[in-house]
Amino acid sequence: MVYSSLLFIYGFLPVSLILYYITPKKFREMMLLFLSAAFCCMISLYFLIFIAVFAAVNYIFMHLISRSRRNEKLSAVPLAVGIIIDLVAVFAFRTEFFTWLHRMIRAPEGFYPVGISFFALGAVGTLIDVYKGRIKADRNMVRFALYIMFFPRLLMGPLLRYRVFTNILSNRSESLSGMGVGMTIFVKGLAKKVIAADNLYMLYTAARSGDVSEISAVTAWLGAVAYILCLYFELSGFADIGTGTAYLFGLKFPQSFNYPLFSIRMKYFAARWQSQVTQWLRRYITKPIYGVCSKRLLREIVFIMGWGLFGFWYTVDLGGTVWGILIGTAVIIESRLLKKKIMNFTGMIYTFFTVVILGVFLSGDSLGGSVRYLFAMVGGNGILADADGFYLVKTYIVLLLVTMYASTDLFRNLMTRTGRNKVKAAVMAVSPVLVLAILMLCTAVISYSGSSDMLLMKL
Amino acid sequence: MMKLTSRITALLTLAFIAVFSAMTFFGRKRDISPEENRVLSKAPELNAGELYDGRTGEKLDRYVTDHFAGRNRWLVGSSLIQTELSESIVNGVYVSDDRLISTDDKGITDASAMAEIFDSFAENYDGMVYFAAIPTSAGVYGDVLPGHIVRQTESQQINALYDAMDSDIRKIDAYNILKMLKDNYIYYRNDTKWTSYGAYCVYKTVIQKLGFQPNSYDKYSIEHVTDNFRGNLYNRTLSRRPKADLMDIYEYHNGAEVTSCIVVRRDGINAEGQIFDREKLETGDKYSMYLGDSVPIMRITTSANTDKKLLVIKDDFGDCFVPFLLQHYSEITVVDPSVMSGKLSDYVNADDYGQTLFLFGTDSLSDREMMLKITP
Repeated sequence: MVYSSLLFIYGFLPVSLILYYITPKKFREMMLLFLSAAFCCMISLYFLIFIAVFAAVNYIFMHLISRSRRNEKLSAVPLAVGIIIDLVAVFAFRTEFFTWLHRMIRAPEGFYPVGISFFALGAVGTLIDVYKGRIKADRNMVRFALYIMFFPRLLMGPLLRYRVFTNILSNRSESLSGMGVGMTIFVKGLAKKVIAADNLYMLYTAARSGDVSEISAVTAWLGAVAYILCLYFELSGFADIGTGTAYLFGLKFPQSFNYPLFSIRMKYFAARWQSQVTQWLRRYITKPIYGVCSKRLLREIVFIMGWGLFGFWYTVDLGGTVWGILIGTAVIIESRLLKKKIMNFTGMIYTFFTVVILGVFLSGDSLGGSVRYLFAMVGGNGILADADGFYLVKTYIVLLLVTMYASTDLFRNLMTRTGRNKVKAAVMAVSPVLVLAILMLCTAVISYSGSSDMLLMKL
Repeated sequence: MMKLTSRITALLTLAFIAVFSAMTFFGRKRDISPEENRVLSKAPELNAGELYDGRTGEKLDRYVTDHFAGRNRWLVGSSLIQTELSESIVNGVYVSDDRLISTDDKGITDASAMAEIFDSFAENYDGMVYFAAIPTSAGVYGDVLPGHIVRQTESQQINALYDAMDSDIRKIDAYNILKMLKDNYIYYRNDTKWTSYGAYCVYKTVIQKLGFQPNSYDKYSIEHVTDNFRGNLYNRTLSRRPKADLMDIYEYHNGAEVTSCIVVRRDGINAEGQIFDREKLETGDKYSMYLGDSVPIMRITTSANTDKKLLVIKDDFGDCFVPFLLQHYSEITVVDPSVMSGKLSDYVNADDYGQTLFLFGTDSLSDREMMLKITP
């Protein structure tokens, strides 16, 4: 079951809201765990068992680390074993080298633990935090299990540290206006996924259907732009749906994407793109290494490697790693070369183009293919534009312009920063109707197949 | 103010979700959808094995989708929105004002493997084998599709199949006949299949190969039985942009009459069949007016003054084609392997027939499993 399906929106979500709100406050955390278990069970019972075992193993290791903490060397053993188990769990399903393991744990044919890249990182982070003494090992099993399998963040939901999550959980406040905010975020995310991302995906596949040595420059550019926009709308859409759903239960999650595509500098792009995951990598991997590097150059290399790791986390192959390294390098070069002042507009154009061009590496199957594709983008095939390219431009121009506008912060600024009260009042007045209308639109779009599960990457 | 707006948003959207979810839960469930012309899925039964590997979840997903309150209206809306948002492609069907065209790349993928099946039939058969591969509407009108929908053209597919087939099989080039006539009403606007007129045009060539003089067009009286036919491409899009289609019955007067028509139904029981089942025009499956519901075997005897017998092995394309053959044979047996449960030899002895005609659309020539049923 994915969030962008009729079963979730019109079946699971209303039922779980009713069950949650009729439960006395004292037992609501238990209820959330029960609902999350039901969600996992609707994916498959095996998945529920898998994730429950995963949570239990991590719970045990967390306490082993905590018990042996007086002796630092001794406590490193359960830490290392725990991290290895978690990483093996990730690689077992995201790469093809562990098929024997699938047989060993008797995984059903085609089983993929959705969201494993997220909840495994969360578990590893928690183990490290306990080891370092930043947090105490939580005795509360319900909370720990909920941290791993809380259904609004299970699929690509925001990656949160254990303490952040438990703070949000403890400070939750259920209110009708909070639910309104939640529904707005939810519908926004749904529209991002089923209207923007899915149609951009069509453009991306259409542009990529031709032979890379024959496509025109225009088609190649369309494919590259569509890919990066589609990726943004897909990842941030899912994150928004998750965040919105969490709001409905009174949990105020932070956002993962802060309009990164049209930042005015690469630095800001790097800071705003899926910030929870990049922050995780900084906290647990690059920051400890920074501590031992005094030279600026060394620190910069560590920064670039951190981004390389992030790219690797996306695709688990060379292409993604190269993408990450290039993004990191671009940020470093920028910080060395670029003067402090740059015009906003020029900066936006330059950031967007850099991101689009580098995105080719993330989307390509092989490095050679990506280079061939870049060659086509500069007109290396000797064709600048052809009938196919014109057709795609003509058909998709509205979608592209609208989605590009939507990936800037212009609309949000219009709402929040406008001084004119009339504009504010007008936006306020139409927004409930607008949210409802978009919800209906999205429902219509997914009505045929019942869900939209086209995905650029499986995380 | 902000809070008030949020509250109104919450009430509006949650009420909307609640209403549609209640209507879906408690609404009356239909078994079939006439608009989509298919059987809707049934509620999944709880069983440990299916729950374990996730099939229950998938079935539940299908069930809620199929029985979602107001599904047909949502689909119509979806079709309208989709064509505005991006390309005019809805669920793999290209929508234009003139016609709907399938963009699926489903054709003869492995020509030599397919050809082997028909060769092995011909080797073990005493009579003559004739073969007509019929392009779908996408094959004839596909040139209006956007260039990025790469597909091997159907003429290439058919040529590859014919080249791979044994030379003893007499092949009929339906593609070029139909391609030449593409400005006529030879294909339905809302279906992948040909019209009766399209079938007639190919019949003229086929029947000459089979050794007869074709009946001329003016000998038929043509009855438009409905002007409201929307076929399988409509079922996938619910788009009413092209006009609805006409369905015709070609009646040949002063000729041979059908003396008996016996079908073997899917459950193996014999029953009375009909060449034109007009009751089907009132259902969502109007195309079944030709030869009625799909059955494995239909045995037609006529009063034609000849002792020639013909075996026709066909898919849906054959339904409106078979009536043209009735004037020339005293007995025709029509076989539809797609609904046959066993082998062809379980139903008929092919050697009783002097001639066998294969007539398939290119879309079913990809189905190897189905075709294997005709091998001895």
